[in-house]
Amino acid sequence: MPFVSQIQRQTDYGLFPSATPIVIDNGASSFRIGWAGEDDPRVIFRNIVQRPRHKATGETVTVVGDHDPALMKYFDCTRSGPRSAFDSNVVYQFEIMEYIFDFGFDRLGANGPEIDHPVLITECVCNPVYSRSKMAELLFETYGVPSVAFGVDAAFSYKYNQQLGICARDGLAISPGFTTTHVIPFVDGEAVYKGACRTNVGGYHVTDYFKQLLSLKHPHHMTRFTWEKVEDLKMEHCYIAPDYALETQLFQKGTKEAEDKTRCWQLPWVPPVVEEGPSEEELARRAAIRERQGQRLREMAEAKRSSRINELENELRGLAFLLKQLEQVGEEDVPSFLSETGYTSKQEIESAHAKATQSLRKAKGEPKADQVESDEKIDPSADEKFSLLNVPDNMLSAEQLKEKKRLNFLKTTTEGRQRAKQKRMEEELERERKNREDEEKRLANPGLYLEQLHVKYKELSEKVEQRKRLKTNGGNTNGNNLSGGVGRGERLNAAQRERMRLLTTAAFDRGKGEDTFGAKDEDWQLYKLMSKDNDDDDDEHDPEEAELTRISSRLQEIDPTFIPKAESGTSQQVVEVPKFRPLTKEDFQVILGVERFRCPEILFNPNLVGIDQAGMDEMAGVSIRRLSCDSKDVEDRLTQSILITGGSCLFPGISERLEAGIRMIRPCGSPIRVVRASDPVLDAWHGASMYASALQFPSQTFTRMDYYEKGEDWLRRYQVRYSL
Amino acid sequence: MEPELLEAELVLPAYFSFKKIQIYEKYPKGQSSAKRFKHLKQIIQAENFQNYPPDEPNYVNIESPPSMHPSKRICDITGYEAPYHDPRTKLRYANAGVFKVIRSLSNDYVQRYLALRNAAIVLR
Repeated sequence: MPFVSQIQRQTDYGLFPSATPIVIDNGASSFRIGWAGEDDPRVIFRNIVQRPRHKATGETVTVVGDHDPALMKYFDCTRSGPRSAFDSNVVYQFEIMEYIFDFGFDRLGANGPEIDHPVLITECVCNPVYSRSKMAELLFETYGVPSVAFGVDAAFSYKYNQQLGICARDGLAISPGFTTTHVIPFVDGEAVYKGACRTNVGGYHVTDYFKQLLSLKHPHHMTRFTWEKVEDLKMEHCYIAPDYALETQLFQKGTKEAEDKTRCWQLPWVPPVVEEGPSEEELARRAAIRERQGQRLREMAEAKRSSRINELENELRGLAFLLKQLEQVGEEDVPSFLSETGYTSKQEIESAHAKATQSLRKAKGEPKADQVESDEKIDPSADEKFSLLNVPDNMLSAEQLKEKKRLNFLKTTTEGRQRAKQKRMEEELERERKNREDEEKRLANPGLYLEQLHVKYKELSEKVEQRKRLKTNGGNTNGNNLSGGVGRGERLNAAQRERMRLLTTAAFDRGKGEDTFGAKDEDWQLYKLMSKDNDDDDDEHDPEEAELTRISSRLQEIDPTFIPKAESGTSQQVVEVPKFRPLTKEDFQVILGVERFRCPEILFNPNLVGIDQAGMDEMAGVSIRRLSCDSKDVEDRLTQSILITGGSCLFPGISERLEAGIRMIRPCGSPIRVVRASDPVLDAWHGASMYASALQFPSQTFTRMDYYEKGEDWLRRYQVRYSL
Repeated sequence: MEPELLEAELVLPAYFSFKKIQIYEKYPKGQSSAKRFKHLKQIIQAENFQNYPPDEPNYVNIESPPSMHPSKRICDITGYEAPYHDPRTKLRYANAGVFKVIRSLSNDYVQRYLALRNAAIVLR
């Protein structure tokens, strides 16, 4: 049953004669105000004040009670939380109290120049006179209230229930409230404060304990556990265990019963959106676009090629024509003829012709033949081409010498190229051979082969890994560098440690004797050494690694289940970064098990939250002891009518537990009856309303004149008579 | 002010006809209200209850005495009965599983658990 405030402004204030008292139940959790003699309070709201800053205008405003959270977005509440006028159960902040009264009277419909009605207001048991006098002062001076009466909420509730016949004239009122729990004995229908007792535990502590436990258990959802939410959870789920130890054992054993008692609060959770690939149509559309673009590019390339072929053919035709013409021209006319064409010799034209033919062939798309041909062409001609090389130097002219040098260079490079080609071929053959062998082995015994391959892969990968580790991590690899727990030195790689060493030796040398650094040129080499960050042999490809890649690719080919190990560099990172599993629905569940009865248990065992006072059941015994009745008769009458009232007695199972607890401390055979108030939350107001509407009520009030004449000592002893 | 705020009458007006002294007259701006009022502790001190007869009930002497029952020791984490006590963190625990949990807790959390039963180390 969540708390509902009721703050509609009343319109019938003017209809009440000035003799009708206003009844206020000023509880630490909520403020209730209404008219004496009525059945229910007119206005109810949480007894808190907030003073946030209005965002638009920047002024500090006052907001009383709980409001629609949607409206609070216009305010900046970061600097002011909800504030209460209460310290424990005593009013101490009268500025806040005044805001509360303003709001309360305003919503009751007050509109005259003053509050011209007697006021009955509740207070705690044995309220310090400071608080009581300040309260009276506030009502008299600020609101012009003619007369005031103070009473205790639990006592009013008891009297009201006595009226209803729920409890007897003599009895105990046990009132677990918001901040405190009281036990007040009633003898002959009158509250006896001498026997009253108070433990500073109440609903506030239960909610706070609950909230803390939840936020400790679910630190990720801390922001969800607002005060209001936890209060609601408490009201909905908490109960009092008949026997705490037995109840926990149920949960400890994980019985079916415990499972039934476990509640689950599912926080809003949206399953992560599964990355969906593009739809069929989308894929088709994309493919079509790609196809179109490719087509366009192909067309462009084709057009370019054809135009180039055309060009080359034209050139060829021209050159052929030129050659034909050249044949017809006489030997002596050649230079003059050639000067017009731009070529210097017949050979040049021929070579141009050959080149053009070659490029034409290439353009037409028969390069391979060309290549082979040209390669072959080199071979036979090589000897005669390089014939100059075999001639001794002294037999050659300067020009020929130059030519020889050039040829020499050319020869070595071609030979080198051929050697490389040869080697490549051999390698290819070797690989082929190996593959063939592998294939044979595989065909002979596939299982064994695969196994061997795996073993080999594992060995090799370990070896390579080891080497890499050594490189990055220096000598101290004992295989546990991946599992954390590395010291300062182990974290650095070899190069970094070398730099460290250089720096420290340099610093150490600096300290002694004359500083000669820089006298020799070699000194500066130090910086080069230091700035070197990685090993030089980083990109050296060793045969093992090559073999490893070969095996892994082979494995990938024949074994579908094989997954190659990630590169050691990345695998290290993967290990170090904690793996985040995707959040599931369960991560957004708040499981309420033991907490359901652990939290309200503090009412019976305040020492669970470090408050060293008697719990509710024991308090009854304390109260009876304090009363020091002369006869067992009175005690029996008291225990026969135990009324529980107050907001925190709404927990299911509280009456049974209280009865069991009191039975333990009372003599054997004592009659014990525990009853719950008809409405534990509102009965204090109901009782006060009934009391204020009684004819003798005015005799219990005091006026402003009384207050000033009789003084503080009188006010300290002031106490209303509940039995009118 | 936004219209829905005005409609809900969320903000308390500064002036009320039924008041003889308005709040702005009583509490001029610039004073922090925290210092103006005594806390409960100060109030109790100022009441001088020791000067009154001890059998007369007052706010202090109606407080309950400490419990006579042996105090319940419950596991700080799970709420089960706790037969054990960790000397390092000072937390009580129910079984080996919980012990593992409390040893994995950071000191911050240990202190928060201890604070729940008012046993945290408070540095002043």
